[in-house]
Amino acid sequence: MKAVFSSEWLKLRSVTSTYHTIGTAALMVALGAAWTFYVSGLADERGSLRAAAPEEGFLPLVQISLAVLGVLAITNEYATGMIRTSLITVPKRGTLLLAKAGIVGLTTFVAANAILLVTYSASRLIASDRHLGFNGTSFADDLPKLLASALSVTALALVGLGLGAAICSTAGAIVSVVALLFVLPGVVNYLPPPWNTRVATLLLPNLVPQIADERLSTRLGDGFLPPWAALAVLIAYPIVTLTIGYFLLRRRDA
Amino acid sequence: MLDAVIELHQLTKHYGGTLAVDDLSFKVEPGHVTGFLGPNGAGKSTTMRLILGLDAPTSGQALVNGRRYATLSRPMHEVGALLDAGAVHGGRSAYNHLLCLARTNDISATRVAEALEQVGLSGVARKRVGGFSLGMKQRLGIAAALLGDPGVLMFDEPVNGLDPDGVRWIRDLMRSLAAEGRTILLSSHLMSEMALTAERIVIIGRGKLIAESTVAELTARYPSLEDAYMALTADSVQYGAAR
Repeated sequence: MKAVFSSEWLKLRSVTSTYHTIGTAALMVALGAAWTFYVSGLADERGSLRAAAPEEGFLPLVQISLAVLGVLAITNEYATGMIRTSLITVPKRGTLLLAKAGIVGLTTFVAANAILLVTYSASRLIASDRHLGFNGTSFADDLPKLLASALSVTALALVGLGLGAAICSTAGAIVSVVALLFVLPGVVNYLPPPWNTRVATLLLPNLVPQIADERLSTRLGDGFLPPWAALAVLIAYPIVTLTIGYFLLRRRDA
Repeated sequence: MLDAVIELHQLTKHYGGTLAVDDLSFKVEPGHVTGFLGPNGAGKSTTMRLILGLDAPTSGQALVNGRRYATLSRPMHEVGALLDAGAVHGGRSAYNHLLCLARTNDISATRVAEALEQVGLSGVARKRVGGFSLGMKQRLGIAAALLGDPGVLMFDEPVNGLDPDGVRWIRDLMRSLAAEGRTILLSSHLMSEMALTAERIVIIGRGKLIAESTVAELTARYPSLEDAYMALTADSVQYGAAR
């Protein structure tokens, strides 16, 4: 098992797509700084204002970039045929997928936390003592939200890996992740009440504020799930998709 | 190493309605190169995938050293295989590609360097595989198969894309590996090359066994191995499972 982990770690490090996806996710730092400079300028003119926190506003960028990393961890093997070479060296398919999940999970969690923390710190430093709406709370108050955000990134990356294992296609898996992150939340708004809010509370992007025990949005009202339940739902996403991916990977001819 | 052997017992594989391998039984013994011949679509590659546990047989079984491949915990030490030289991530260097494979079976980086040296790729070890010619990829695939110093080796058309120098190199390599007591299953469409390399021959057509013989016997009965192949497979030239 340790041997397969070490191989998967090298596989991830030795392709450029890993650096591209992490680099794209890290654009959050630059965008967050630019955003804070912009709203700081507005605040200097008008006094105080209520702006969105950059580590929240640009979170989807980190989520989708690192989800692509998760998808590619397996679909680049299907695209190149490398999957057969991999399965010849590691015939136990569950071990291979588990090692990939471990490496993708760890890498995306560390990367997401680093990107979020740097964005958070930079924006607070730039904001200085201006009242921008997002910088009034202490780091200790903001920490649960930051960790929940990083966890959502990892969850989505593992969902991407599971979907990639299930459908073997880069495009298909990325479209599915995009649907989960951007399309479904939009569609769900149009369900008849109270189903719109009920379903919305279970959707991946809405779980982060619920884990941090915050209001979902003005349109959806308060989150319905207590933090522990929201966390459980977030963790269920990758577990379900990876399980489906595992069964299909095991059954299918490679 | 003398027990190292590949055994097929009534191996059968359907893909949907297509019968790719049909009740195929034969053994591959150590100490010489066994040529694996058959028309396109005869089921050679499918048979190799079944032996390696990549595809699951519909019925029957394939054993390596008396066990199913999928049950081997560090398979690279027992079996080396080259199925498709193109099945590599083009963005990785040759060295990293082999090291990724080596690590799964606790094979050292030193051994990776040795294997690269053995196939003549040391000079391009740090170059991206995507820029390699087919012949260089074949050499890389052979290096991957040799990494674990296995007693059983399977090569699916390794001669494709090699220059004359490479063709001779493969021939000598196969024969020396066999002389060391290893079991070698080698598929190819080049009959003249096969006549020089292999000692035993297995011919299949439409997924069925057509002949299991020695090169000496076949060339005694027919003018050449090519003539023997043509005569024996005359009824089987048809595209079966296109996979």
